[in-house]
Amino acid sequence: MYNSIIYSLIALFFVPVIANAQYTFFNPKGSFAIEASLENTDELRMPIYRNAMSSLTVSGDFVLGGTTAQKGLSPLLFSSSLSQRKLTAVKQLDDVVKGQLSIGTGFTGAKSGNVFYVGTMPQPGTGVGGHIIELQVNLKGQIIVKDLGEPVAGEGVFAMTFNPDKNEFYGIVHPSGKFFTFNLKTGKTQVYDQTVPSEKDLDTYHSFALEPEDYLGRSLVLDQQGRIYGSRSINKLFCFDPATQSFSVLKDELPFVWGREAMGRIDSWVKMPGDVIYGSNAADGQLFRLDPVKQTIVNLGKPIMMPRIMAMTPGKNGMLYGVAGAAPGYAHLFSYHPQKGFRDLGNPEFKMISPGLEQGINWRAFQIASMATAQSGNYIIMGENEALSQLMVFPAEDLP
Amino acid sequence: MRIVCFIMLLIAQATSLFAYAYQDTSLNKPISERNVSFIDYPDFPEAHSTWGSIGYNPANNNVYVGVTNHADKVGFYEYDPARNQIQLHGFLKDLGHLRPFQWQGKMHSKIVAGPQGEIYFSTDGGESRQEYLMNHPHGYAGGYFMKWNPATKQLTNLGMGMQYESIKDVEVDTESGIIYAISYPQAHFLVYDPQKNLLHDAGRLGSSHVPRVLFTDWWGNCYYVDWRQRLVKYEKSTGKLVFAKQSLPAFPGTPGQKIVTGITAYAKNPDKKAIYLVTYGAKLVAFYPQETGIGKWEDLGGVFETAKGEEWKPYVPNLNVGLNGKLYYVIGGHGNYVRKDKTVLIEFDPEQRKANILLEFPIGRLTEVTGSDIRDKDGNMYFAGRKRPDRTENGSVPFLIKFNPEKEVK
Repeated sequence: MYNSIIYSLIALFFVPVIANAQYTFFNPKGSFAIEASLENTDELRMPIYRNAMSSLTVSGDFVLGGTTAQKGLSPLLFSSSLSQRKLTAVKQLDDVVKGQLSIGTGFTGAKSGNVFYVGTMPQPGTGVGGHIIELQVNLKGQIIVKDLGEPVAGEGVFAMTFNPDKNEFYGIVHPSGKFFTFNLKTGKTQVYDQTVPSEKDLDTYHSFALEPEDYLGRSLVLDQQGRIYGSRSINKLFCFDPATQSFSVLKDELPFVWGREAMGRIDSWVKMPGDVIYGSNAADGQLFRLDPVKQTIVNLGKPIMMPRIMAMTPGKNGMLYGVAGAAPGYAHLFSYHPQKGFRDLGNPEFKMISPGLEQGINWRAFQIASMATAQSGNYIIMGENEALSQLMVFPAEDLP
Repeated sequence: MRIVCFIMLLIAQATSLFAYAYQDTSLNKPISERNVSFIDYPDFPEAHSTWGSIGYNPANNNVYVGVTNHADKVGFYEYDPARNQIQLHGFLKDLGHLRPFQWQGKMHSKIVAGPQGEIYFSTDGGESRQEYLMNHPHGYAGGYFMKWNPATKQLTNLGMGMQYESIKDVEVDTESGIIYAISYPQAHFLVYDPQKNLLHDAGRLGSSHVPRVLFTDWWGNCYYVDWRQRLVKYEKSTGKLVFAKQSLPAFPGTPGQKIVTGITAYAKNPDKKAIYLVTYGAKLVAFYPQETGIGKWEDLGGVFETAKGEEWKPYVPNLNVGLNGKLYYVIGGHGNYVRKDKTVLIEFDPEQRKANILLEFPIGRLTEVTGSDIRDKDGNMYFAGRKRPDRTENGSVPFLIKFNPEKEVK
């Protein structure tokens, strides 16, 4: 009898440890989820099928996001207060630009801190093109939207970045893969064919059953000299120098798994303090470092077994956070540090407290499409990619 | 610190035992164990458990059960009440022509009857490895929709729902034959038309836990719950999801993890135009659906009177309604019991809103019971039961429970 009580006591102490071993989720102290999407409610929320958070940035206390809608529905712009942990504004893009499906690229900032630019993709099959949109966030988190027009007629803005020093946009359009520049001051647009896949490359893509949305580079990045980097067919990195308006192809290809080069393309870039640039290959989810001076890359490997790294953002002390994996698998949050390497942090699961859910529920993120770092550097924000998507926020770790 | 916590735990446990003890309910009922029959599953010595995997086919008045070894073998059983005979038709991997890399851990879904006398169910990984191994050689490929033809005794594999995802529950619209399903762990609501082989993914509706129960109304609309325990209806006539504005009732203090799990069982009473629901937070609800829109519901109170502040604790993953209009369910499982180390069979009168204990079972004899709305034409009700005599992982024995409050079934 005495022994059985002792064993029961021991078991009681160890049961939680055993039970948690398999299901330990990343939920650091201070993390939280913000309910941003909910159907049929009087609370300010985004409706179903219009809230996949495909682009994200931060302006002061406010997270600013752009969504992708399901076909036939208009995407939304939203803001959310980090301090109040609630949505502060939702705006229909349709009120400003008709016929759009997705706000998926950009959120590059102007020199004035609260002005941002994004590129949009149109509803498929409509013949309408994507637009460049200017956004301003006021002190109450309200969003002011201005349409800057369609840079390339009939084509969507698939990837875009902005150089605030030159007031110039650079982008890749869908479906052709052409490269454009658009000067905000002069309103002049130039379109280049050098990034368009050749007929031979298109044959290769066809044999791999790949469509433009599968092979076009999803992101562009600027180096300190104002040169723009992106990916082009097949598995190549290109550099555009606005000073000479010339393209070059880097000697180093995107890191690849043999035989899967056709799927190689940039999934995301992140520019760290000190002009360190990291990129990711969507095909197999490799992280690499770009040396803009030597124009070479170093393959840093894969954080998890699945393909894709759809989003990355700077953490503290040289660490970056990223989201690896996507449907049909599940997203894993990971970190990378030049000295310490990768950590797979798994599925984030944060507490969500909302009116009507005062006791709090756990929200586990399976599909994550976007990330941003708070301007203070203290918070990392992730945007879900779901029918009903929520914001996931955690404090940036202050590791040496 | 641990010692202090443990002493507090002991005090809490003692308090709750006292709370249960003072509401002793009379066992002097006309109903005896002669009204209950435990039926063993033959020819499957390593049978471990049954989950929601039980259903009734009005076309032949038979009851079907999926029984698993909780690893890679799922036996498919048919019980014929007229002959009082149970038969193993075979194992899903053989009947469904599955290769080893398409292994299935269990059948979690209920078994539902289709428009032509056929029945449908789905399969489940049943192992935590399903969430982590993915495309590893030992990973889980995904759960399948399956159809059984009672006339030809043939199983048809209707294909997968989502890659890597289990299918926790299915329902069928008996008019169109369209199948509704919920996936695990991402809680995607799926609508599958087997005639056209069209699968529509309506997206993620859940939180950190996947509510396990779907149910349909008289018009073939299908219901689920979102993370606020609000009913979500797939409205057949519009092909859209309709969300209730208000959450289903819950006791004050019900933890979030109970709220997000939603409904654990249901039973339909067409005479009263009511679908009775039981929640993971131990509430009974009478839901009155309507063809379009959400409809109304009525809070019937708790599944059993318990101490204040603990009303949400009893665990009831089963529900049946008798020919007499009363509800029958067994409380217990997953460590939640209203009698120390005992499961209890309850009769609940929806008119009086009163629960009575009919029978008590030591948990070594009946540990946990599942199944929703399974009643044959003679008023016999069925549950999927299991016992865990030695409390080890392998110490689990499943059996079919037949119960009739109005006549002996032994």
